[in-house]
Amino acid sequence: MSGRAEEEIIRTIEKAFPELVEEAAVLQKKRISVTISPEGLLEVARYLRDQLGFDHPISAGGIDFMREKLLQMVYYLMSSEKRIMLMLKVNIPRDNPVLPTLTQIWNAMSPHEREAWEMLGICFEEHPNLTHLLLPKDWEDGYPLRKDFKLRGKGVGS
Amino acid sequence: MVAEELSSEVMRISWGPQHPMSGQTRILIDTDGERVTNLTADIGFTHRGIEKILENRTFLQGLIPMDRMVMADTANISMGYVAAIEEALGIEAPPRAQYLRSMLCEMSRINSHLYAFGLMAEAGGGYPAVFLWSTVDREIILDLQEMLTGARWSYSYSIPGGVRADIPKGFKEKALEAVNYLRGRFEQYWEAWIENTLFEMRSRNVGILKAEDAITLGAAGPVLRGSGVPLDVRKDEPYAAYGELDFKVVTKEACDSLARLIVRAKEMEQSLNIIEQAVEELPPGPVRKVVSLFARPKPGEYYSRVETARGEMGIHLITDGNMQPYRVKISSPTLRNLWVFEQMPKLGEVLLADIPIILYSIDPWYLDCDR
Repeated sequence: MSGRAEEEIIRTIEKAFPELVEEAAVLQKKRISVTISPEGLLEVARYLRDQLGFDHPISAGGIDFMREKLLQMVYYLMSSEKRIMLMLKVNIPRDNPVLPTLTQIWNAMSPHEREAWEMLGICFEEHPNLTHLLLPKDWEDGYPLRKDFKLRGKGVGS
Repeated sequence: MVAEELSSEVMRISWGPQHPMSGQTRILIDTDGERVTNLTADIGFTHRGIEKILENRTFLQGLIPMDRMVMADTANISMGYVAAIEEALGIEAPPRAQYLRSMLCEMSRINSHLYAFGLMAEAGGGYPAVFLWSTVDREIILDLQEMLTGARWSYSYSIPGGVRADIPKGFKEKALEAVNYLRGRFEQYWEAWIENTLFEMRSRNVGILKAEDAITLGAAGPVLRGSGVPLDVRKDEPYAAYGELDFKVVTKEACDSLARLIVRAKEMEQSLNIIEQAVEELPPGPVRKVVSLFARPKPGEYYSRVETARGEMGIHLITDGNMQPYRVKISSPTLRNLWVFEQMPKLGEVLLADIPIILYSIDPWYLDCDR
């Protein structure tokens, strides 16, 4: 199922950042998942772009693991040469979700980080324009993609 | 949205949000004289929370909202979710279903590209003639889709385990006839519009996006291929029956708005070839494996990629053993391409009059980026 190029990439990352990599696996062919600790996010991201050729940002999004009291931010990256996709993941505490912005590495992450901010409440430090992307600008009803967000109507009868 | 101070030389024009040619969005154009200094796409007017809706639907129910994400391109959009579910359940559709999926995906691509073609013509001054041509030709595809699936749009034809129905009697002949007819029509499109001097003058060297910028800014689909980057999920990671069908990845080195339109026009020709092959080589056998309506996949995560008309769409599916997905992250191509559009004034000179051409050369579908 897993190819050699994928395992090679994982080995290289683990060798370069032995303390930062928490988990690394080949999910399936051409899909790599690497979980790192948040303090090394910028460093690993820069390494992925400059050394390993992950030059094509796809998107980013967050997942709420309420039971584990964690939020997970996932960055989806492609290597335009190797045609391999890498999911760069970081777990952050649910009550204080702060991450450095990756717009300084791939500026195309900007709208995706804005979405994660408004949908899950992950704060991106030094993001150039951390404003609402999809929700109304005066939205104050919480974070819709968190698991404890109450789904209910507004107005008459609710 | 943004309310910062503008300098006195800059004028901000708000285009939209009521249907700026197509869809609901607001494009803020900052101009200094004729020159555009900044572009902002204010999206979210059609946000429906599809990702949240999916968390509260069983896998089969989830196909309905998924289909509505991009109506012109229903088959390709739902294909992504179906592929992710099949991977999670560990099932594979029978070969006949795979061929039917590829065939419908290409019909859907033609439908979507024709719409994009018409809009781009409208942006370039080809309204109503070229726009109406492409609308009439779309009708042929829509009729075929109706014959096969029972609906013109939003048909939920692909379902986990296969497709909903086999081809009806007489479909093969009708499909081949349509392919032949459209081939002739697409030739006329070249003469009438793509190679028309008037249009060429409006779109050549407008909205230049170099290959390295296209890659680092995360462009998708025809925008990427219009800059000469041959990334196409159908070739890189063949799904449905694409591994067995013969087609070329169309690229164009010119990197401008015209190149992106030409990529779409040539892709439509490739799509016709695929439809023809799929109809003629349709393998025998069942079209569907029975999958429980309340199937529960094993806990885990799955990522599927499909090439929609606007580019690669990724579905990251996380399951926790329940009947509903735990989380579905949809990576949509339009959000990526709109980012590229916003960066255009930084990449080269953009004039106010070129904005419609550039915007419709990236073929935005706002329902897709709003989700």
